[in-house]
Amino acid sequence: MRKLRWLVLALLAMAVLAAVGCGDDDDGGGGGGGGEASGEPIKVGASLPLTGEFAEPGKAARQGYQVWEAMVNEKGGLIDGRPVQMVIKDDQSNQNTIVADYNALISRDRVDLLLGTFSSLLNLPASAVAERNRMLYVEPAGGAPELFDRDFRYLFFAQQATADHQGDLWAEWVTQLPEDQRPKTAAYPTLDDPFAQPTSEGIEAKLKKAGVRTVYRETYTIDNPNLDGIASALKSRNPDVVVHGATFEDGVGMVRALRKAGFTPKILYQTSAPSFGDQYSGALGKQTTEGIFYGVSHSKEADTPGNKEFVAKYREMFGGQEVPEDAADAYATAQVLQAAVKGVGTIERERQLELADWLRENEVDTILGPLSWDDAGRPQGEFLVGQWQSGVPEIILPEAAATTDEIIPEWRPEGAG
Amino acid sequence: MTGSGTTAVGEGTLKGGGAPPSRAPSKPLRSPWTAVIAVAVLLIALFPVLSDDLYYQNMIILAMVFAVGAVGLNIITGYAGYISLGQGAFIGLGAYTVGICVSDIGGSPWVWVPVAGLLAGLVAAFLGLVAMRARGHAFVILTIAFLFLMQLLATNWDELTNGTGGITLPIPTWSVEYQYWPFYYTLMGLLAVSLLVSWWIRRNKFGMGLIAIREDEDKAATVGVSTPTYKILAFVASAVFVGMAGGVYGYYISFIDPLGMFNILLSVQIILSLLLGGRDTLWGPVLGAFIIEWLNETSNNEFQGGNARLLIFGGLLVLVVIFLPRGIIPTANRWIEWWRTRGKAGLAGERLTGIDLHARATPVREAPEPSGRPLLEVKGLEKRFGGVHAVDGASFTVAEGSITALIGPNGSGKTTVFNLIGGTMAPQAGEVWFDGRRIDGKPPWQRAHLGLGRTFQITRLFREMTVLENVVAPLQGFHLGLLNANAVSGREAKRAEELLEFVGMRKYRDVPAAALSYGQQKLVELAQILMLDPKLIMLDEPAGGINPTLIDRIGEMIRELNAQGKTFLIVEHNMPFVLGLCNPVLVLARGRTIATGTPDEIQRDPDVLDAYLGEDFRLEQPVGT
Amino acid sequence: MTEFLQALILGLLIGGVYALLASGLTLIFGVMNVINIAHGAFLILAAFVTWSLWRAVGIDPLAAIILLTPLMFAFGWLIYNATVRPIRKAPAAASVLLTFGLALLLEGIMGVIWGNTSHSVRPEYFTESFQIGELFLPKGQVYGGLVAIVVLASLYLVLTRSWLGRAIRASAVNPQGAELVGVNAASVAALTFAIGVASAGAGGAIASVLYPFLPGSHYQWIARLLGIIVLGGMGSLPGAVIGALCLGVAELMTVTYIGPEWATGVPYVFVFIVLLLRPQGILGTRLRQDVATT
Repeated sequence: MRKLRWLVLALLAMAVLAAVGCGDDDDGGGGGGGGEASGEPIKVGASLPLTGEFAEPGKAARQGYQVWEAMVNEKGGLIDGRPVQMVIKDDQSNQNTIVADYNALISRDRVDLLLGTFSSLLNLPASAVAERNRMLYVEPAGGAPELFDRDFRYLFFAQQATADHQGDLWAEWVTQLPEDQRPKTAAYPTLDDPFAQPTSEGIEAKLKKAGVRTVYRETYTIDNPNLDGIASALKSRNPDVVVHGATFEDGVGMVRALRKAGFTPKILYQTSAPSFGDQYSGALGKQTTEGIFYGVSHSKEADTPGNKEFVAKYREMFGGQEVPEDAADAYATAQVLQAAVKGVGTIERERQLELADWLRENEVDTILGPLSWDDAGRPQGEFLVGQWQSGVPEIILPEAAATTDEIIPEWRPEGAG
Repeated sequence: MTGSGTTAVGEGTLKGGGAPPSRAPSKPLRSPWTAVIAVAVLLIALFPVLSDDLYYQNMIILAMVFAVGAVGLNIITGYAGYISLGQGAFIGLGAYTVGICVSDIGGSPWVWVPVAGLLAGLVAAFLGLVAMRARGHAFVILTIAFLFLMQLLATNWDELTNGTGGITLPIPTWSVEYQYWPFYYTLMGLLAVSLLVSWWIRRNKFGMGLIAIREDEDKAATVGVSTPTYKILAFVASAVFVGMAGGVYGYYISFIDPLGMFNILLSVQIILSLLLGGRDTLWGPVLGAFIIEWLNETSNNEFQGGNARLLIFGGLLVLVVIFLPRGIIPTANRWIEWWRTRGKAGLAGERLTGIDLHARATPVREAPEPSGRPLLEVKGLEKRFGGVHAVDGASFTVAEGSITALIGPNGSGKTTVFNLIGGTMAPQAGEVWFDGRRIDGKPPWQRAHLGLGRTFQITRLFREMTVLENVVAPLQGFHLGLLNANAVSGREAKRAEELLEFVGMRKYRDVPAAALSYGQQKLVELAQILMLDPKLIMLDEPAGGINPTLIDRIGEMIRELNAQGKTFLIVEHNMPFVLGLCNPVLVLARGRTIATGTPDEIQRDPDVLDAYLGEDFRLEQPVGT
Repeated sequence: MTEFLQALILGLLIGGVYALLASGLTLIFGVMNVINIAHGAFLILAAFVTWSLWRAVGIDPLAAIILLTPLMFAFGWLIYNATVRPIRKAPAAASVLLTFGLALLLEGIMGVIWGNTSHSVRPEYFTESFQIGELFLPKGQVYGGLVAIVVLASLYLVLTRSWLGRAIRASAVNPQGAELVGVNAASVAALTFAIGVASAGAGGAIASVLYPFLPGSHYQWIARLLGIIVLGGMGSLPGAVIGALCLGVAELMTVTYIGPEWATGVPYVFVFIVLLLRPQGILGTRLRQDVATT
């Protein structure tokens, strides 16, 4: 038995070492395409969740930064012809780690510029480190309102709107429907998440004002979703519209639970999940997705500045047809940083406040459209609204960015009525 | 920590391979660890001044948070032996207290840090109340449930905690030049204070009681240790400073949310630190905390795998439990001890000769004249185990000032009767009256405080404690001042030494109890009972399994103590011993008293003879009184 | 009323699956006095393996149980002999810490192999339900519940009709006595652990269909299982079944009438209440405390 014990322990140890060794390596020196840019590289640091619960979007964000790095260097560098070198750490979706990481980036790696991370939960402490050290902090994916209640001077969010305004355009569309088509009751099941919840609440506020009565508002946690129970409750309340604040798996799960329970609300809106393209339609079946509304920050067909090049470069570097929203958000973030640096003409540590001031006074054109901010770093734009039509995710609002004129007025999982 | 090297003969050579006694540092200057610790402390204290490396400042700050957590955990887990996986919850509680007070009431976070400690202490007291009936497995499960319940509350009680959105704290207001110094030095101060408290507990009577609880909780109860109160106090002590450290930690991270603050991995890191460094040592938890945090940070940077932390913590936990269960410092101490004492002789047993007891110190106080009134009255006791009637209507009295014997064949229920009187079992029916008070509803420690002491047939000493510590642990009555009494020197220790002198075990005062022979253990157990200054001493087979000279010695001691006013109730099988010493003699058979009388009467009583061996048996020589 | 009945039915259906999982845990405790904190991790591991099989070969998860059970049995046996066996004689607390460490290790390994995102197994029939009047019984839950009952029944048969089963029960009641009548306690312990893990494997395959899971889900599962065995009485198989049904129904009732976000807390509340009022649980027995244990 002793030999067996040692053998198994040895195997376990080897498995552990292999696993650890296969874990993502520190992305110290990134692409740094030597072609056009030359001179001492400018170090741009960020810590992303490459492992842990936010690993999927974290890795997509890294891709976005890497695309930006490659493109900037191809076009002659960031400033004074100097190339950009991304220094990316893995915060493991953990708050302690991200605080340590940003401290390390600032004091040990001595990066020139910072970029933000994914998820409000991680951006909250990280931005505090940046603010404390007086460095500009533009982040791609932290839209919770709390981020901006702290009177920070160096913090900027690079999407079109904060979470509580993500659903504005869609809510307005609902309230502007003709009387006979407008829903009377609404249900708001939502994931307990600093992004999904404010979105859901923002929509509820607007719909309530227009007279749509709330018949159900409950939260669930990601590790105990109990979607069948929720679907059953929804069925008995029978709302006209269901606004579901979700991420991916629970978004898919809820739709399935509704099908199981045999309940089809007239209108279905979901955050996040429907923006996952083929993953979403593959999991549900194309017919089931017909008519589902969602909010999203980026569309690869949009005619926004630099979008075509970005999509092309992304596909060249990483293959496939899909371009994850998080990669696009990250790219836009870097675009914002680049604009500020070009606008003021410096990357010096002591002058980062000038970069921040510049952003407050100017609008930046990004692949997400034009972005501008208020004093606290909140973006002032409008999120896109999408809808699944005939198995294709289309952008329907705002009209300037729309890919189709048609808006299907209801959810049709079993086909047109 | 071992501070040995002061006794002449190599002490504590162990028979059964227990660990060397983890003594309170009574002679710190001689310890080899002192220099190392002093240097380390100095380095850490000066580090922020000497270097401006934020990365290491951050690492040390976090290590100190976990060190405070581990030092606190040591009190309930290391000393008292109750494994808690909920220690991380107190960090979260502390952080949330500071966060909520700052956002709702205002003011600097520093002001609220003591409040955080207070709240943590209150919650710990409450948890201690809930956990009173839980031991071992049930207790661990309870602490896990507590941690997750706290997380759930923090998540769902939106109005107070802002749920998963969390609470943000204002960023520090002092100049950037000072970096993180206030956090650093506050935590250092907290760590110093908690170490002081831990050290103090370990060397006072309260600490002895905690270790007694760890070694043998039921036995501890019978020597007056009021276990629920001790446990609650220990829990509070383990939580207060951790709560304060949590408050500082929350301020440091500047963002407080349920998933981060009530993460079970915090608890895992704390308990791993404690296990690795060494339970029941002073500096072990600190050493462990620094090692684990260093490992944590290094693995972040080298391996870059989020799962690396899980693999490392999990793997370490498994390895430490299997291969290094005692932790680094105790294992190192053991090696040092082995190195020091190899080739040396152990402490030899003292020769037993006829000793004049009167010449020894008589630690027991003068008692009033025995009145002959009943000190103990047992009425109609009944105890069933399933279908077996172990005790079936036993009734008898024990007169004050007597040496009463309780004899009976095997299975007659003698030990069960002792258990019922002493309080380790509850009867189905019947009453027990002691000194005019009814005691059958009272817990064992209250009976001990009233003056009831008992020994056990199979001796139950606290194996990891030294002989002296064993004798200091019993608690005569619950006063806070008494709990605070120094166990290593001072009045309680002196008294214990006198008692050990009385039973002839004084030379063994620093030997771990596990190393003693059976006979020696019996003597120490007697000394323990005497510490309680009892009125009634119940001895369960005092003459069993020891050599004749020791039997005589014990007989002498019993007589001596009786002359000073102590009443005895003795269960015995050794007839010459009983019949030569005791009067009256009670006979128990099949769970009830069948005879009472003088030794002569009992020897001749046909029922007694029948109960024991049938009519064939006759004593060869009637034993006179 | 419909709402109530619906919640009741959903609760009972899921309770059946819980019963299968809890029975393995309580069996291990009863025989070896070990609380296997890694039980949740084992079941999630089985769920992941099921998922991989389903993705690669398209095998139905409930059918995959036939593969999973012996696989997890062997795995459990190996783990026992490598890690749990050496601490057999250590105080009870050591086993809790050890199995916790195992749980973390497994979580880490699963994270490396499968990643930390939610997964679920979605066979064809997953979105369909049986309709009985106003009530709907999701097919996934019904099939899962039935399979759980079958596996539980076979476990019960093994325990009562086979020699191994009797040996296990003897070891649980009196290890020394069992040795005296020719039962090798060490092997029995290993086999019991293996059986426990195997039942976690079967339960995990079923669970993969019912709830989305990620490596970190094992905490919620072990919390449920601990709540169940504390309620039912640690070491009692019928207690585990009763506790499981109670928990399933309580969870669904909480979701329906209080709010889904509180459903997570139901097992913890169980633990607190039981330990406060009746520490031995519904069917547990109190051990004779007076025997001095060294």
